[in-house]
Amino acid sequence: MRWWQTRKRDADLERELRSDLELEEEEQRDNGLSPDEVRRAAYRAFGNTTLIREHVHEAWGWAPIERLLQDARYALRQLWRSPGFSIVAMMTLAVGIGATTAIFTLVYDVMLRPLPFAQPDRIVTIEEKVAEWSNLYPTLPVSANHFTFWQQHNKSFDSMALMQQFSVPLGAPGHPLQVEALSATPGIFSVLQVQPALGRTFTVDEAQRGHEHVAILTYDLWREQFGGDPGILGKTISLDGFPYSVIGVMPQSFHMPSIQTMDTLGTTNHPLPIGVLVPLTFSKERLAEEMGDLNYFGLARLKTGISVAVANEELNALQHTISANLPADEKATLSAAITPFQEKLVGSNRKPLMVLLAAVMGLLLVGCVNVTNLLLSRAVSQKRQMAVAAALGASRAELVRMAIRETAVLAVLGGGLGVLLAACIVPSMQRYLPPALDFRGALHLDWAGVGCAFLLATLATLAAGAAPASMVSRTAPQEVLHNDSRLASESPRSRRARRALVAIEAAVSVALVLMTGLLTASLVKLMAVDRGFTTERTIAATVELPSEGYHDRQHRAEFYRDVLQRLNRLPGVEHAAFTSVLPLTGGGWGDMARISGDSRPVTQLPLENFRSVSPQYFSAINLPLIAGRFFSESDWGKNLALVSQKTASSLWPGKDPIGQQFSRGDPATEKPFTVVGVVSDARTVSLAKPDPMLIYVPYWYRVEPMAGLVIRTRQDPSEMADMVRQTIWSVDRGVPVPTVRTLSGMVADSVANQRFEKDLLLFFAVSALLLAGLGVYGVLTYSVAQRYREIGLRLALGAQRPSVYWLVLRDGLLPVAIGAVAGVALAFGSARVVGSLLFQISPYDPVLSIGAVGVLLAVCISACLLPAWRAAAVDPMRALRTE
Amino acid sequence: MSSTKEKAQQRANLLQGTLDMLILRTLLYGPAHGHQIGKHIQRTTNDFLQMQHGSLYPALHRLEQRGWVTSKWETAPDKNREFKYYRLTEKGKKQLVVEESKWKQMAEAVSSVMWPVTEEN
Repeated sequence: MRWWQTRKRDADLERELRSDLELEEEEQRDNGLSPDEVRRAAYRAFGNTTLIREHVHEAWGWAPIERLLQDARYALRQLWRSPGFSIVAMMTLAVGIGATTAIFTLVYDVMLRPLPFAQPDRIVTIEEKVAEWSNLYPTLPVSANHFTFWQQHNKSFDSMALMQQFSVPLGAPGHPLQVEALSATPGIFSVLQVQPALGRTFTVDEAQRGHEHVAILTYDLWREQFGGDPGILGKTISLDGFPYSVIGVMPQSFHMPSIQTMDTLGTTNHPLPIGVLVPLTFSKERLAEEMGDLNYFGLARLKTGISVAVANEELNALQHTISANLPADEKATLSAAITPFQEKLVGSNRKPLMVLLAAVMGLLLVGCVNVTNLLLSRAVSQKRQMAVAAALGASRAELVRMAIRETAVLAVLGGGLGVLLAACIVPSMQRYLPPALDFRGALHLDWAGVGCAFLLATLATLAAGAAPASMVSRTAPQEVLHNDSRLASESPRSRRARRALVAIEAAVSVALVLMTGLLTASLVKLMAVDRGFTTERTIAATVELPSEGYHDRQHRAEFYRDVLQRLNRLPGVEHAAFTSVLPLTGGGWGDMARISGDSRPVTQLPLENFRSVSPQYFSAINLPLIAGRFFSESDWGKNLALVSQKTASSLWPGKDPIGQQFSRGDPATEKPFTVVGVVSDARTVSLAKPDPMLIYVPYWYRVEPMAGLVIRTRQDPSEMADMVRQTIWSVDRGVPVPTVRTLSGMVADSVANQRFEKDLLLFFAVSALLLAGLGVYGVLTYSVAQRYREIGLRLALGAQRPSVYWLVLRDGLLPVAIGAVAGVALAFGSARVVGSLLFQISPYDPVLSIGAVGVLLAVCISACLLPAWRAAAVDPMRALRTE
Repeated sequence: MSSTKEKAQQRANLLQGTLDMLILRTLLYGPAHGHQIGKHIQRTTNDFLQMQHGSLYPALHRLEQRGWVTSKWETAPDKNREFKYYRLTEKGKKQLVVEESKWKQMAEAVSSVMWPVTEEN
């Protein structure tokens, strides 16, 4: 028998008692009593049947549940009777809990959810540090040569792997499908501790140059592109125009985050999940380079019991050995940085997420405080009811239960609504996931989130219900019942509590408003900063040249020359240009320029960002020429260069840079570049900071398969998108053009995260302000009602109405003012965290601080006006007669 | 204050245990309904133990909950009506032995204080 069968069981009990009672009556009748007396005697002998039933219920062990249901029913009835209060309180809790749950889900997904690998906490990334370049690159990807040395000598790792990610066309030429390929050394499988579900991993042989044409498909790619063909093993697929033999299929559960190396650093937000794994191989020459190309993502699995610090120490020692053996012209001070994989993937997203979480919890706190305030005023009005219950013998525990049951029901309803709200919000937050962590499929509310909501609802019940409950449990019945008149005012303790609550609301609101103000101002400044280039009427397109037919720079450059000629002939086009990196999508490749005559080791040379561009690039984005000239198509084949002002003044201080020469790499083998012009500095890497030293080389010198086009038009650029695509395809139909969009859109997108943070904070701040206003209004309205007679007396004794106004205003604004000061202090206290999210604005900005306080005061003053007006309108005669 | 409360609780437990034992013992004669059980205990003790229905029914339901007795609605042999009859289970019989030995120990302990052995001399 279960508790939900109570009703049936209770009927049974009633029947039992009745039948036994009848028997008792019969026996009494046999004693010769009158029918009336019989009944009375039987009842006397039997006792109170209701009490018996209650006792039996206790014996059944269901009493607590029954009491709970009864409480819930009672609370619901009470809430139903004051719908205004109930709806406000419930919605407040729902918004607070829902928003907090949604943000928590995002934070959990990004920072806490374990990566889908065995013992994910043992997986670490390895980066190299080169002291000489630390100003531009605090850490660098790994060189193949150093990796091999670590692999041979380390004692800290179970396994290690290097990898690179790139996008390649899969399948027949003409209609290739672009897929993400992860090229990795065979160690990857033991690092991640995953095995193909079908087939096998790479052999050591396949990790050698010339044998690497084998591929392992991910489950999704195998299902979608090959129909889940069970006989796929041994078949040949075309990747990047080369035949690859399929040797395996990864299990369905395998999901690999996107990784970034030098080539992809900041450039692409890999939109596609990894679809295929191929072996990463190194040529003999590359392995022999002592410094090599610092260009591979290092991943390793720590041995059990080895900490990150210990492993890092060991690697540093190995790096020291490598440094000591470097040839004189490559002298560098090497060390290594080991970071847990997850931490690396979260990267710089940690701080904004924490700020958002703190902010939303602030909002929840304000919501709880408001509900507490509402409950407190209800508790005061229910004081007599409670006193009667206490006088009739209700225990303290029962009184507290009575006081907290409404809160509990409110929290349950609010929490339920909050979960629904969160379930609606969460999927739309997917696009704010950092790209590296957006590999696990759709973001949705899961048990962690629901658990969080449940916990919050419980906390809200305790937080919001504690004050009224403690007040009620302190009720001295004789005092309350004696004190029958309406003169009785709120106890000083309760008044103090309510004012403290208003102060808390004010403090959190000011902090939120101030933070929102700072982020907004920062964003405005970021958008208004002098970018040094223009975006009006400009389109940016990305192009991915397949290797098939474009396997060398010559072919690629000729393709673009053709495309640019056709684009520039279009009537709507002002300037069409090629660039290896579109504005605000990355820095370009890092390299060292060696000025003619400079013979320092390569690591001592200054590091610059290189870009290859076509002649019209500068005009297309209006990057002004300071000196010299642009290169032109007639310079085709010549090694010319333009440099930014910063480069010019660093490389040739005090000299005319025009005509100067420099080389990349070895001057003995490589033709030097001649500087023909200087262009102004701009912010093309990030709006937040000026560009580093930039060197522009012509596109006939270097063209990567992935590149961008910028096209300045004479008309509305959105109409040109199709024409741009058609023009490219008129040269070659088989070339994928993944994106065509306006440059201004890209600028806006580069601050999308900041805008998202600002929008959310704005929402939190406005909600908190409204709640604070509501709180002040509630407290004052109540206090004016309480002091009705006192105010009447004052007026009767000659007080002026303005002074009554002032009395109420002061009463309402004093806690707000104290709270505002505390709030500004709170915001200043967290300045270190907030400051790092700001652009060109101090977290202590006086104008914004005063503004935030001003906004709060304005809201609270308007909340005070109605109660104050009501107080001033008190008719003294009527007030005094109410006794 | 809490210690007196605790003592009261212990006393209640003792009395409750005794009542359980008396009911189980009564049912050893055969199935009976609540009224019969109450009356039987009252009669056998010459009205010394006035059965309170307020404790009898909760006790019966508690015993049933523990599986020491089972209940069934049956027509009384002498009346034309159904009553809820309680019947001792095997588990209940074992429990009766346990309760009995406990009570014996208790009674012996009390009597050894009240009527010391020296009286035999």
